[in-house]
Amino acid sequence: MIEFRSVTVIYDNDIVGLENVSFNIEEGEFVFLVGKTGAGKSSAIKLLTGELKPYAGDVIVNGITVNTLKNRKLPYLRRSVGVVFQDFRLLPNKTVYENVAFAMEVVRAKKKDIRRKVPTILSLVGLSDRAKNYPNELSGGEQQRVCIARALVNSPAIVIADEPTGNLDVETADEIMKLLMDINKMGTTIVMVTHSEKIVNDAHKRVIQLESGVVVRDEKEGGYNLDVLA
Amino acid sequence: MYSLKTALSSLGRNAVMTIASIVTIACCLFLFGVFLLFAFNINYIGEQVSSQCELQAYIDENASPADEERILSEINSIDNVKSVEFESKEQAFENYKTQLGAEYSEYFRDMNGSDILRSSVKITPDDLSRVNEIEQNALLVRGVAKVVNREDIIRKVISATDLIKFGSLIAMLILLITAVFIIQNTIKLSVHAREDEIHIMKFVGATDSFIRRPFMLEGIIVGIIGASIAIIVISFGYTAVVGNVAGFLDIFRLYSFGQLALPVAGGLMLFGIIMGSFGSRTAVRRHLKV
Repeated sequence: MIEFRSVTVIYDNDIVGLENVSFNIEEGEFVFLVGKTGAGKSSAIKLLTGELKPYAGDVIVNGITVNTLKNRKLPYLRRSVGVVFQDFRLLPNKTVYENVAFAMEVVRAKKKDIRRKVPTILSLVGLSDRAKNYPNELSGGEQQRVCIARALVNSPAIVIADEPTGNLDVETADEIMKLLMDINKMGTTIVMVTHSEKIVNDAHKRVIQLESGVVVRDEKEGGYNLDVLA
Repeated sequence: MYSLKTALSSLGRNAVMTIASIVTIACCLFLFGVFLLFAFNINYIGEQVSSQCELQAYIDENASPADEERILSEINSIDNVKSVEFESKEQAFENYKTQLGAEYSEYFRDMNGSDILRSSVKITPDDLSRVNEIEQNALLVRGVAKVVNREDIIRKVISATDLIKFGSLIAMLILLITAVFIIQNTIKLSVHAREDEIHIMKFVGATDSFIRRPFMLEGIIVGIIGASIAIIVISFGYTAVVGNVAGFLDIFRLYSFGQLALPVAGGLMLFGIIMGSFGSRTAVRRHLKV
């Protein structure tokens, strides 16, 4: 599903983002990407969405080699990768329903499909009764649920969650984690970046730890402790 | 539908900049229209002038009627002369009086036409580029005192109008660049207002052309409104100016707006659309690189 083959990222200012990183993520897996700030997590995520091209190596997502993909084909890759942001990035002038529907409108989905699918997704994330509310009328957890609904509505094979619980209290974070786990159980591959020790330790899922752009740990059902190998 | 709705709401949101863009485009296209009308009419006058271009060979005061006949026939046989027409002293005097009008008729009451002006031969050339050659040959005809070549004046007029055309072209180009710049800024404001939306669109897989479309449409709407204003002002303005100028320009005819409506209105509309879409395309380009 996702494959990094000897991937190296070097930024314009000669800073190395990733160095010779290789790993595989299978379809349906739930993987935590952990590491200190500047370890290379963001670089890895940017590679998956085609925001960044590697200096060397190959990034393969859903059978597509992202680094050789032409820019005009990038939108089609992104339709198979849903992104959940830490800061939600909802459109304040649109309702919950419109925010989710928007993701379908811009990929030119049929109106009929939008009317059918958006309520289903909102029900999945537990926001059916908030469909007509605007983002500023929602709690942080609810806003994150809208963000997850938006990431899911185009039925992506992979969901990348970039610190989705970073702005939430522990209780709400647990709810969001439960939701992501449920989505994962339905077959969606999830790659989640997090700094939350509790979340990683509770989840018992695969953990890939990055340190200065290098993979220092890749453990099945691993824990969070960054100092173990550092 | 999404693009049109978004474009219209953006235009409304940035009303001041939208109006500024429309006014700038309208001004620019107005000047462009004036330039077009000017160019069309200059060419039209040029054609008329070319067809009227003739030389006038003045005959020596002492020439007898027989001499005049000979001169006429000799000039007629000069190479590249299309036709010749004799104008007697009396005819010339009558023409002169008519030209000056009735209010000066008193001054001529006691004058004898044959004492004042000379007889002449009006020469129409076949090929305008060889007018000087005819002039030289006509001067060689015995009894010809002077040859007036109007081509010089025409050339001066044409080169002067060429200069005016060039000047207005430069002014128009500067305005064109200014207009594109202002459209760019208007669209940039829209882009800025919708930055988050664009970012999300990029992440959920909207194509660049889909993202660009509302902005392009916005620019094109501004271009079309600006062009429409310019066309309306020009059509009324031109008709009024032609009505007033026609009196002074007795010798030349000018096009009516109806005759030029299609190329001028079409040209302005096309330019409006091109400027609008070009301005918005360049404005949004940077934001698509995500």
